[in-house]
Amino acid sequence: MSYLQYCKRCVIPSSRPHTFIDSEGICSGCRNYEYRQYINWNQRKKLLLQTIENHRNKSGYDCIIPCSGGKDSTIQVLTVKEMGFNPLVVIITPCHPTEIGRKNIENVKNLGVDAIELTTNPVFRRKLNKYCLNLVGDISWPEAVAIWCNVARTSIKYQIPLIIWGENPENENGGPKRNSDVSVDEIATHNHRWMEEFGGTLGLRASDILFDLKKDGVTEKDIIPYTYPSIDEIKKNKTLGIFLGYFLPWDGHSHAIKAKNNGFQEYHKNVEGNIVPYENLDNYQKRIHDYFKYLKYGYDRVNDWASIAIRRDRLSREEAVQYTKDVSGKYPWEYMGKSLEEVLSFIDVTVDEFDFICDKFTNKNLFKKDSDGKLIKDNLGNITKNNYDNIKE
Amino acid sequence: MTISKNKKNIVIIDLGISNVQSVLKAFNCFEQNVKISDKIKDLNEASHLVLPGVGSFEKGIASLNKKNLYDTLVNLVEVKKVPILGICLGMQLFATYGFENNVKTKGLNLISGEVIKIKEMNDVRIPHVGWNNVNFLKKNSILINVEDNSNFYFTHSYHFNCSNEENVIAETNYGLNFVSIVKKDNIYGIQFHPEKSLKFGIKILNNFSNINAQN
Amino acid sequence: MLKIRIIPTILYDEFKMVKGINFNSWRTVGNIIQAIRIYKIRQVDELILLDISATNKNKEINLDLIKDISEDSFMPLTFGGGINNIDQISQIIKNGADKVSINTAATKDLDLIYEASKYFGCQCIVVSIDYKIENNKIVIYTNSGTKKTDLNILDYIKNLEEAGAGEILLNSIDKEGTMSGYDIKTIKLITENSGIPIIASGGCGKPKDMLDLVKKAEISGMAAASIFHFTHNTPNNIKEYLQENAIPVRI
Repeated sequence: MSYLQYCKRCVIPSSRPHTFIDSEGICSGCRNYEYRQYINWNQRKKLLLQTIENHRNKSGYDCIIPCSGGKDSTIQVLTVKEMGFNPLVVIITPCHPTEIGRKNIENVKNLGVDAIELTTNPVFRRKLNKYCLNLVGDISWPEAVAIWCNVARTSIKYQIPLIIWGENPENENGGPKRNSDVSVDEIATHNHRWMEEFGGTLGLRASDILFDLKKDGVTEKDIIPYTYPSIDEIKKNKTLGIFLGYFLPWDGHSHAIKAKNNGFQEYHKNVEGNIVPYENLDNYQKRIHDYFKYLKYGYDRVNDWASIAIRRDRLSREEAVQYTKDVSGKYPWEYMGKSLEEVLSFIDVTVDEFDFICDKFTNKNLFKKDSDGKLIKDNLGNITKNNYDNIKE
Repeated sequence: MTISKNKKNIVIIDLGISNVQSVLKAFNCFEQNVKISDKIKDLNEASHLVLPGVGSFEKGIASLNKKNLYDTLVNLVEVKKVPILGICLGMQLFATYGFENNVKTKGLNLISGEVIKIKEMNDVRIPHVGWNNVNFLKKNSILINVEDNSNFYFTHSYHFNCSNEENVIAETNYGLNFVSIVKKDNIYGIQFHPEKSLKFGIKILNNFSNINAQN
Repeated sequence: MLKIRIIPTILYDEFKMVKGINFNSWRTVGNIIQAIRIYKIRQVDELILLDISATNKNKEINLDLIKDISEDSFMPLTFGGGINNIDQISQIIKNGADKVSINTAATKDLDLIYEASKYFGCQCIVVSIDYKIENNKIVIYTNSGTKKTDLNILDYIKNLEEAGAGEILLNSIDKEGTMSGYDIKTIKLITENSGIPIIASGGCGKPKDMLDLVKKAEISGMAAASIFHFTHNTPNNIKEYLQENAIPVRI
């Protein structure tokens, strides 16, 4: 049995990959946020303008904006347009698209931009959702990797070197590099190594999938959308990915408000398993993806959002801890109107199979067990963490 | 007792000195009627016997004696002709004698030969650990659909020096050539670890489980 | 002929897979179960799993975790971290390990190696040695690189061989996590002064680092971690590269 250590300021635990809690008990996410007051945002904004200017090219588009239709990508498009630039919006169809997600994608187009959408072979992708859920406990591996790889590939194909991503999640949530004043290339860049380190690939490569599934008839052609372009192609095209979050003080909540004023539609209540109504609206599988983070590490989007709110004085720590007890880590029976069974059967997985896989990836040390060492589950299948806050010494 | 051709009852003999779970897990890839046991009753009902082992020859024999299995095993194998597969030390215990640190220990004497240390030479570090090729010298039912010269996982300091060349099915080179698979009638011995040798290792175990008790 | 082994190393602190630089700045890079499953489909030669918290936190060996991990894997597994008695070794092997790696405890009591080797066979016993280069001398450290010793490494290795150690896992603290290449000079010295298999660890950042090492020193295996966490390289593509350069590997 073990106890999680939580940041003293927010509710992120030390088990979160890449997060670091320092000797004062404060997490790197909070430290990064603290550091914001020292940043010269005017200078950063100038740097952003300069960067986009420097990447003007013959294609007719100043940059690519990867877009899910969510509040953040809506803001990315608005911001770049407000600056007077002409982006090409690139949409990678989510694995199990929702109605509201679809509407929001159309809304982005109606902000007045050219957009292209790539739908990776849905038959193969459903197989991959199932395969990755089973192999690495991540149903969303195909989606995350498809986005990284195909946005990069589009940059090369259309010869638009600059890709403007949104938030640097490693900054807000406490990755190892702080946002210090160094050149764009070092901190802000999204590149191949970043993808491997933080992009959610979990160490799994498309080549591994091919190696394992060759016997089932999978060929190289099938895995093209999940293969990152070669370093040579990237260099030749001078593809550069930057995070808008490096240049502007990012705040998801404010973005939601502004996006709503520009046609973005949020859910009619907080989405199940979360404490906000404006995130993860585009894909029915998102709750399962989130649930597995809880099983593996003992935290989920509730911890993330509550911590974001604490840092901006929108929530007290006591309230945040209470949210994690009441909302976080519940068995994902339902999401946005679809039952777990429906979402699973879309990828040919039964609830029993799902439970077996959950069990495989659960870090049992973090949760309450009975005298036989089995996880204690309530009548809704929920497991309980050993501790939701730091244990008093 | 006649064992029907189709009903298997594979018993992995637990001498208490090796990782029997890995062997069980490997068999479970294709066969569920497998169990681990050190009880005479279970051995008597087995359709196939597996004797895994790592470590000291002396200890292996001592363990067989301590568990009262020595005579039962010899009887089942030589008289009842139950197919038996020895893995690593298990294979070595089939020998007439084992020599270890100047101590000579009597083996099961199921296949004539002696167990001696791998010869120290240049470039030959002992123990022999890692993946090495197994070169088939004769055709055999446990090698069906297994590619000749494939790599298998070895980890040992001693090897089986067979008295009779006809018992040698395969050999491996490490400094000198040594015996990697032995066979005599219903007795099979493998120096490497099939349960750790992926696809072809599992295939060998599968082939062994298909060997008929009456043959 | 015997092939050179490419051995991914996974360091863990309970369930978290961690990675550090110079035995410091540990951070979680993922979840151990998913990593094991990926290595399983890659059919790697072997895996080394080291519990970095065990000795310092004086915790009991996490046998359930070892069992979970070995249930999911068919390749040879070496477990290390906080092992200091025969009973622990017995439990770890019963729960699925093929070999154990002993570090701090071996520096304190060679008898442990002697007894363990006698009991389980020398091929089960790997002794792990962490070292730094200080003033041109090789200095051995214990307790996850926190305590300095005054052991002479060549004498120590000779004693370990006599006591019955099966393999040595040699880790350069200076190079660990830096991805700047192996400490070839030291590794070569060690291989030239030992008769048991040596596995080199610390510093591998690209396939060429492994090629450079294997061409210069008689190592039996090369362990690496960062390269597999942070680059697109996998053990298989490294082996293909080595094979193209006439190094015997299992493909």
